[in-house]
Amino acid sequence: MVSAPIMVQAKIYVSIEQAQNLIFPNKVFTKKPILVTEDLQEKMRSASSIRHPFQGDRIWQADDGSWFVVDEVVGKHEMITYAVGLSPTGVVQGIEILEYVESYGYEVAEAQWRKQFIGKTAGDQIKLNQDIQNISGATLSSKHLTDGVKRVVTFYDLALKKPSRK
Amino acid sequence: MTRCKPLLGTLVEISIDSTNPSQQFAIDQAFSAIAKVQNLMGFHHPQSELSKINACAHLQEIEVHPWTAQVLRAAMELHSQSNGLFNCGIGYRLVQAGLLPKHVDLAQRDFGGIENLQFLDSHLIISSKPLCLDLGGIAKGFAVDIAVSTLQSNGIQSGCVNAGGDLRIFGEKSKTIQIRNPASAWELIDIGKLQNGSIATSSLYFSKRDQNSISYVVDPLNDKHVDFSCSYSIIAEQCIYADALTKVLAISDRTDHPCFAYFSAQAIRIDR
Repeated sequence: MVSAPIMVQAKIYVSIEQAQNLIFPNKVFTKKPILVTEDLQEKMRSASSIRHPFQGDRIWQADDGSWFVVDEVVGKHEMITYAVGLSPTGVVQGIEILEYVESYGYEVAEAQWRKQFIGKTAGDQIKLNQDIQNISGATLSSKHLTDGVKRVVTFYDLALKKPSRK
Repeated sequence: MTRCKPLLGTLVEISIDSTNPSQQFAIDQAFSAIAKVQNLMGFHHPQSELSKINACAHLQEIEVHPWTAQVLRAAMELHSQSNGLFNCGIGYRLVQAGLLPKHVDLAQRDFGGIENLQFLDSHLIISSKPLCLDLGGIAKGFAVDIAVSTLQSNGIQSGCVNAGGDLRIFGEKSKTIQIRNPASAWELIDIGKLQNGSIATSSLYFSKRDQNSISYVVDPLNDKHVDFSCSYSIIAEQCIYADALTKVLAISDRTDHPCFAYFSAQAIRIDR
């Protein structure tokens, strides 16, 4: 008997709203998109090892000045969407993985991968109820993610930090 | 709900069979416990207790945290039951191979292994030789166990903790477990359901394709890196033993190694 192989599914852990509430319970966030100029993009590239552009439209701020930034890291075979919570002074308060997607080992163009993430809406919440597979086996290292968090902190320094008053 | 955070150099998932938001606290506590294991036993952290042991255990007595003591005792038992196949004293080989950071001066020392470590009392240790212990082959499983007991002591009845493929299921509900196919890591092999138990897997499909092509599994008896293309899994009650015994299985390539029966563990080999 031959049956279709079970493939690794995309793992969707928590929504943006849930992650905000997990890192900063009971804080109200307002979206604060930031235009990432080519100059800023280049500075971030030289400060971190991540090549793909940072998107400035997934940034939120709370009333007390805390920041909540969503970014993703793309490896050869995986893509991780994650959220970083920063205090008003830029100290990391928490990291929460939102989604983890593995490619199936074929040459999957990055653009094609990304397509599934564009225009994600609240309607995608349904996927959150899906059971996450319990997979035993070596996983890819989280090194890319460490680089990703460094990039978000760099972004804070370059674009979010208030100029110090003298 | 399932949450996921980067810890222990991998991604750690914690699932609880509850949607009650008040139980978030239990998950937060479990993630903090894992972070604490990482801070105590991480080779990468120059300030960890493990780094202190590696730097000074041959010079002076060191008092260690009860968790570190527990892992070291388990490592000693595994070493003796596996006739030396499990030895976390191989850290220096991984440093030489560039798989671990270089905090120690490798040239100057004649390194011993876990067999040189001695407990003077329950939390006090000393070593007869310089050590370069790497707890990478056991601490992840231990962290999973600690996370599970943290969840349970916070009132969580059932769930799963998965640290980069080393996982433990607890509670009444059994869960379907999949192992990656070593021939195609994105394909999963359904191996059935697990209830109140742990499974860990060793394989090289990702590490070989990433940066280095050197295997992270080192045979302590001849100091050679062990290369393999299949996938080795161990099922045991506690994840610390599942994690550590995958190394005994990978090095011996024997699913009937006598130490598996001693630890009430089951071995699974999946050929490529």
